[in-house]
Amino acid sequence: MLKIENLKAGVEGKEILKGLNLQVKPGQVHAIMGPNGSGKSTLAYVLAGRDGYEVSGGSVTFDGHDVTEMSPEERAAAGIFLAMQYPVEIPGVANSYFLRQALNAIKKARGEPEVSAAAFMKLLREKAAVVGVREDLLKRDVNFGFSGGEKKRNEILQLAVLEPKLAILDETDSGLDIDALRTVAEGVNRLRSPERSFIVITHYQRLLDYIVPDVVHIQAHGQIQRSGGKELAGELEEKGYDAMIGAVAA
Amino acid sequence: MSAATLPVSPRPPAARRPQAFVEPISSFAEAFLAQAGRLNGATELGDLRRRRFERFKALGFPNQRAERWHYTNAARFLNRPWHPAAAAELGSAMVTPYLAGGSRARRLIFVNGRPAASLSHVQGLPPGVIFKSIGRVLAEEPAAFKALLDQDREDDGLTALNAAFADNGAWIDIPAGVKLEVPLQLLFLTTVEAGPTPMTHPRVRIKLGAGAELRLIETHVTLGQSKGLTNLVGTVEIGKGASLTHDRLQLLSEGACFVGQLAIDLEAEAKLKQTIATLGGEFVRNEMDARLKGNAIDCLLNGVYMPVGTEHVDTAIRVHHLAPGSHSNQFYKGVINDRSHAVFQGKIFVEKPAQQTNAFQQNNNLLLSDDAEIDTKPELEIYADDVKCSHGATVGDHDPMELFYLRSRGLDRATAESMLTYAFAAEVFERFSDVPLKLLARRMAFERLPGGSALQGML
Repeated sequence: MLKIENLKAGVEGKEILKGLNLQVKPGQVHAIMGPNGSGKSTLAYVLAGRDGYEVSGGSVTFDGHDVTEMSPEERAAAGIFLAMQYPVEIPGVANSYFLRQALNAIKKARGEPEVSAAAFMKLLREKAAVVGVREDLLKRDVNFGFSGGEKKRNEILQLAVLEPKLAILDETDSGLDIDALRTVAEGVNRLRSPERSFIVITHYQRLLDYIVPDVVHIQAHGQIQRSGGKELAGELEEKGYDAMIGAVAA
Repeated sequence: MSAATLPVSPRPPAARRPQAFVEPISSFAEAFLAQAGRLNGATELGDLRRRRFERFKALGFPNQRAERWHYTNAARFLNRPWHPAAAAELGSAMVTPYLAGGSRARRLIFVNGRPAASLSHVQGLPPGVIFKSIGRVLAEEPAAFKALLDQDREDDGLTALNAAFADNGAWIDIPAGVKLEVPLQLLFLTTVEAGPTPMTHPRVRIKLGAGAELRLIETHVTLGQSKGLTNLVGTVEIGKGASLTHDRLQLLSEGACFVGQLAIDLEAEAKLKQTIATLGGEFVRNEMDARLKGNAIDCLLNGVYMPVGTEHVDTAIRVHHLAPGSHSNQFYKGVINDRSHAVFQGKIFVEKPAQQTNAFQQNNNLLLSDDAEIDTKPELEIYADDVKCSHGATVGDHDPMELFYLRSRGLDRATAESMLTYAFAAEVFERFSDVPLKLLARRMAFERLPGGSALQGML
């Protein structure tokens, strides 16, 4: 589904990803762990197509198509979704309106019929109940005045409504207390399916206790340093980043 | 306080710099000659109007060299052969889209400067409340109108021009203690029947006694691409502890010019919440002079302008804190597109006695085109030492992160941009007190946005 080969990318001429390889098959959950500055968020932004993130080498193919030249909206239509570490506040745009526009834009790009306002509200309420988003947040402006936990849950709600093939969760656990973490993880687990893949970017093992990955990668210095099963996360938690990647870095 | 710090203090014409003013073209004198005898109150006000016309001729029209104009050559827009607007009948269906305030609102509707009795509804207000046209005031007690003109500033040609021609407008009196539950709407319409170059000079006089409350809606509309000049002069007196909410919506066509000056006096504990949305007009100038004369006053001035094409919109605000312990806030936003030009000049004066003043001002602008221009000039003039004052202005483009966020969810760039532009302006629309007016403003705003028609669902 997703194949990243020798990816080199950076911001403002500074190379941050230095030949990164990663392959994700349908239905798999991959965790990417790594210390600050290892390029985890850069990878997320490069996959979603944020302006200013330049690919200087290698390739990213998604469902057989090269995505590096695609706009963010084209990637969204192709089925890539990024749940952001810092969800953006958009005062003046109602959450439910925004999400319906987004869903219909994606449907339109795929040549599918748009969803009526009434049908969408029904869908939205169902999904909101599943991921634990209070109904009053649907009417409020996008993320505006939301607590940290509410913002993260709102990202998962968008994920649930837009039903992407590949969801990238960029430090979705940061700033969450244990209850919010559990709610978010439950929401994600309900969305797991044989067709949908996840890349879970996280600093700590904690989230992976709830979203159990198929593969764990350790990223440092702009590359995947080690890959393994879910037990790798536990080992990392025990030994720390220095011990796990120190040898490689040296 | 010294007179020098009060810009409204009368200044003899001789003191002006001659090059800052432009002599009116002859059509004004011709129009005055033809019209003076036909104006309401021609007998009682004839002499006064002639004197005011002479004053207008002497003062002329300001250009950018004039102190209060600076970024706008008003003469370029205003010194044209306007003619008094011709009367017209208007069916209620044409007016309906612009009605605001709900079914219980009372309204004075003006068509081409004249009150349209069949469209208006002013009956059934509480005893003591006066809500009538200035045409009626001139018929019943011309001395009252004369007394109003006697208070005019003496240094302004546009005010003098208004005084020379004004024979209509609105007269509102809310007696002490009356909290008017129903809103009042003033709706000024110009139709194509008014002529190719019509001018009107409405007066608005609003007085709230101590503790009175009023929600006022003021709408200016040009129908069917009608052109023309509206030169409005208004005085607003808000008594002790009284509260005025004033919504003004301007929906003007490409050929329409509007100049409106409001002198607002607030007594202790008074409240004013004013919100202005300017959506269209070749040239629109909204000028407000607020004088905070007592303590614990709350004066909030909101506004949004969204010029497109070659439109020019100019906002000039002066807030004078004359007494201690009051609060004022100016909150203006602009979306400037195409080759349009917007000006915001906001000034806060804090006089020496006005300690513990809180005065703020913010002007944020979105510049959507390289050919558009915004001149924003926030100013403070403070003579008291224990005050909290701040001002700020921003000019920018969309936030790249907001844009990326919307696009990453599937919205194309154009839709995402118009959504963010709309949201930027909507913060001010939300401050309208009247819901029907807010909806009308939002709908009209979509027409000023690229790709805006796709946003109707945001209503």
